[in-house]
Amino acid sequence: MALNRKVGFFKGLKYKGGGPMWAWVLHRTSGLAMVVFVGLHIIAGFLTQQFGSEAGIAINTIYENDIFQLVIFFLVIFHAVNGLRVVILDLITPLLEYQREAIWLEWLIIMALYSLVIFSVLHDVMMG
Amino acid sequence: MKKITLKLFRYNPETDTKPHYDTYKLEVEPTDRVLDLLEKVKGYEDGTLSFRRSCAHGVCGSCAMRVNGENKLACKTLIQDIKSSKITVEPILGMPVLKDMIVDMEPFFDNYKKVMPYFINDDPKPEKEHIQSIEEQERFDDTAKCILCGACTTSCPSFWANDEYVGPAAIVNAHRFIFDSRDQGAAERLQILNDQFGVYRCRTIFNCTLACPREIEITKAIGEVKKAIATGSLD
Ligand code: SF4
Ligand code: FES
Repeated sequence: MALNRKVGFFKGLKYKGGGPMWAWVLHRTSGLAMVVFVGLHIIAGFLTQQFGSEAGIAINTIYENDIFQLVIFFLVIFHAVNGLRVVILDLITPLLEYQREAIWLEWLIIMALYSLVIFSVLHDVMMG
Repeated sequence: MKKITLKLFRYNPETDTKPHYDTYKLEVEPTDRVLDLLEKVKGYEDGTLSFRRSCAHGVCGSCAMRVNGENKLACKTLIQDIKSSKITVEPILGMPVLKDMIVDMEPFFDNYKKVMPYFINDDPKPEKEHIQSIEEQERFDDTAKCILCGACTTSCPSFWANDEYVGPAAIVNAHRFIFDSRDQGAAERLQILNDQFGVYRCRTIFNCTLACPREIEITKAIGEVKKAIATGSLD
């Protein structure tokens, strides 16, 4: 009997698609992560406001943590810039030929924006 | 001569319930191709090893396989271009495996047939050939290079998720006729591709473009078809 055609999550990830494939995987993951983040934010606000609950404050301390902030800022910036790359390439088809260059440009922009974030978070930490 | 370790995906439907890997140590020339290594194993070590090949020169499209995790034509991949001395060869993804590297290509060709990949022109036959300018020909020059190897479609995560998606190869071959000034079936083909399993399953991931052994700008071709559907114009 022929083997099932199914390509599971990890089997798919093992395919060596390179930069663009990883950008797509990260785009999906960062999208999910943002939903979780915004969800936590709303739940925390609701719990503290309505019940003055300790749980809300506990959730707040998690995502106000510097490391969490650094991660979530990275995911938001990545999701925004990567989304723009795909939208621009989809709308201006002749540019699709330069998709390899587009990936490099994308990371350059992400790094520039992200260094501002790192700077501001570090600044806050040092200045208390 | 170079010493390499060749790891091969093995599955025999008559004796195995699960696939496994066999490893062979070989001495090879840097100018040997992955296909030569498979032939060596089949000829000298294990005659039951099964894989497709015909031309051995990158034109028939039979020998698409995953070489070290990436879709390649076995007959076009030189050992000197593979950095590692360990080479793993596996069948392409997203198709039912029949035996070793041989997959059932039927779903692939079913998708290909959906886009009517043949010349449509109901005008009376011209006396000689259908005339076309160089510029008109250049419009589909790139997509006319396709050899139907399936490397693109089987590298596409959207196709892995659902094989009802026509896949990049079918869109490339639709593009070849849609943008041919002598053909008259463009509107019908665009309608077929204007479907949830048509061009919109493409998420601009680019695996297809990187996998194509003919270096066709596949994502660009898909983009042009998307644009033609959106604007209703072939310009
Ligand atoms: S477009 Fe390229 S990868 Fe896809 S079937 Fe044709 S030759 Fe193979
Ligand atoms: S054997 Fe024909 S393309 Fe490889």
